[in-house]
Amino acid sequence: MTLTETRPETDAVAAGDDSGPTAQSSPDQWTPPTGLARILSTGDHQTIGQMYVAFALLLSGLALALGMLIGIEQADIDGGFGVFANSNELFQVFGLYRTTLILCGLVPLFLGLATVVIPRQLGASSVAFPRAAAAGFWTWLVGAITHIAATFSYGGLGSFQAGAAREQSVELTVLSLGVIGLGLLASAGVIFATIVTQRPAGMDLLQVPAFSWSMLVATGVWLFSLPVLLANLVISWVDMRGADVVAFGGGDAPFEQVAWAFDAPQVYAWTVPMLGIVAEVFTAAHRNRPKMFEPMAFLVGVFGFFAFGAWAQSFFDSADPSTSDAHIVTNEFLFTAFGLAIALVVVAYGGWLAFNAASAGQRPQISPQFALVTISGALLTAAVLAGVLRVAEPALGVLREFDDDVWRGFFDAMADLEGSSLVTGMMNLAVLGGLLAAVAGLFHWAPRVLGSPLNAPLGYLSVLPLAGGSILIGLTDVLGGFFDQPARPYQTSGIADIDSLGFVEALNVIGLIGYIAVVGGLVLVALNVARSLTGVPMAESDHGEEA
Amino acid sequence: MADIPVGTPLAAPQARQRTLLVGTVFGTAAALMYFAALFGVYLRERSDALADGGSWIPSGTNIQLAQPTVAAWTLLMSVVTMQWAVYSIARDDRGHAILATTLTTLFGFSVVITTSFQYTQMGLVADDSIAAVLIYTISASHLAMIAIGLVFLLLMAFRALGGQYSSRQTDGFVAASIFWYAVVFVYVVIWTAIFVLK
Repeated sequence: MTLTETRPETDAVAAGDDSGPTAQSSPDQWTPPTGLARILSTGDHQTIGQMYVAFALLLSGLALALGMLIGIEQADIDGGFGVFANSNELFQVFGLYRTTLILCGLVPLFLGLATVVIPRQLGASSVAFPRAAAAGFWTWLVGAITHIAATFSYGGLGSFQAGAAREQSVELTVLSLGVIGLGLLASAGVIFATIVTQRPAGMDLLQVPAFSWSMLVATGVWLFSLPVLLANLVISWVDMRGADVVAFGGGDAPFEQVAWAFDAPQVYAWTVPMLGIVAEVFTAAHRNRPKMFEPMAFLVGVFGFFAFGAWAQSFFDSADPSTSDAHIVTNEFLFTAFGLAIALVVVAYGGWLAFNAASAGQRPQISPQFALVTISGALLTAAVLAGVLRVAEPALGVLREFDDDVWRGFFDAMADLEGSSLVTGMMNLAVLGGLLAAVAGLFHWAPRVLGSPLNAPLGYLSVLPLAGGSILIGLTDVLGGFFDQPARPYQTSGIADIDSLGFVEALNVIGLIGYIAVVGGLVLVALNVARSLTGVPMAESDHGEEA
Repeated sequence: MADIPVGTPLAAPQARQRTLLVGTVFGTAAALMYFAALFGVYLRERSDALADGGSWIPSGTNIQLAQPTVAAWTLLMSVVTMQWAVYSIARDDRGHAILATTLTTLFGFSVVITTSFQYTQMGLVADDSIAAVLIYTISASHLAMIAIGLVFLLLMAFRALGGQYSSRQTDGFVAASIFWYAVVFVYVVIWTAIFVLK
């Protein structure tokens, strides 16, 4: 063994144990860093995971606060409350809400949990590449901070109005999103390699716990998705660097390049780990181990397969959609088939949960995490059902060939849904479902992630706003879609098509209340985490931490 | 073996189960997906341009096939030397392994030079057309991939020089070879899709 193969930190150092011989200062001996230097140079998977979770929670809160700003503006669609000075500012925040919620909030939250929990689930001392895990985290963090700062410096993913954005800031926004993608890819690679290589002898892949399996599937799907996102961003960035923009870097093209990441089916791909968390928390609440694990593992794998959506991007469309032989990816059979199939997979997964609940033969032990996974499962189901409506129009187009007159009104309504706020609702339902599952995982594994359990009463208190707010946000967007509320609020041309403007504005006010509630719920979770980390004595212990 | 100060607590050696190999396969797959996306956009745009009756490569540019073909053959030769390195280290022939790795590195470096020379000859202005943007994006990304591959190879060569790899532990060389074969594969696609089809 050479020095380069030595782990960055031993467990003793990570735990702050300075009683050993390493702590004695001597010119010949290595003294472990302390304080900020320890945090910056750490390769300890526990510390990296904790930092991932902390920053991801913070940035999720920021993303939802941005959603709140959009909600305020949408409460008066035709007039606006003057939150944004122009359409371009709304466009910038619209894009930032999506990138921050998913790539700075949800995905890192899952990766942070996995970085702490998976080595312990597998009986490994650490992750496969501790330094790469640290590099991934710091790359992601620097990218996330830069991305947000660049967007607020008149940047954003392109510009909706000519001259409304600063060119350098837009370039930096695009570049920083690429940096975020690189960091997440490195972290995903670490988790993937950990699950594949750090299992003890005799444990095959179908014997790993449900969360580890779901992370294996998720990182596999992300492996195929994130590089495509990077490619889209690089094309935009190269185009922007020239004296004249040709096609990919001008106007709102940079956002259009990455819009597939926030639409069906890719939006489900970011939520794959929630299936593992739901399985573990649900079966633990029934004081049981998962039964029929292989079918569940198969369903998670199939869910991941159908959730891969990097191919469903408008840059694979033909140049002129108006021509008769136009090739529009989101009108193709494959897009519809994926949308319908994933709904069937989620229904089958619900059946697996019901089977486990029935076979346990006892009522579940109620806990904050159990309540959260129940709601998150319902949110994912609602999301895939909204996704079915999202892809329904091309499917119904086949029927239209036979008899267009009878179902004309229905077909037209379905066609309108495609560009409506139903798409936003589908994304919000799926992502907020994932966020709730991740928070449930935090409660479930708090003794491992934070060192002590989270406070249960405070947990129950946070469940209500988190669950209620998420339902309000998602469902009001979906309902607004049925009244032709446009998916992209900065495109004011769609306002004239809205049916019952006053009702839609009332829906948006309810959605705004949802955003406020979820932000409040996240603040309560953050307080709970802070309370746990600072070691305040707690009267209540956690429920359901697996044996 | 490097010197480790007396008194430093040594953790028990971890049983590494082809960790580097799995990590490299993950990274290589990610790189291939990256290029798959670039080629997807490239071929779609090219197809649309030709369907509209226009030309894809802007007039006035001089994209020769000679330099890309030389680069392609150079990379194909590097496949042989790369496999030679893997073969040698698996048989404890460290001298030949290092020699073969050095040759592979030189082949890779010569492709960088060939591509750079071609850039000066093409007369393709980067912000002039969609084709130019995509060609420079793809070929420059491939140069970056070659650079990563060269660093990987040099690292493995130095580690072999330090005695880390032998017939009992070939993971580093096998991992480097997988990445290098992906470099060559991507260039073959570039050669076909960009320089032969034009």
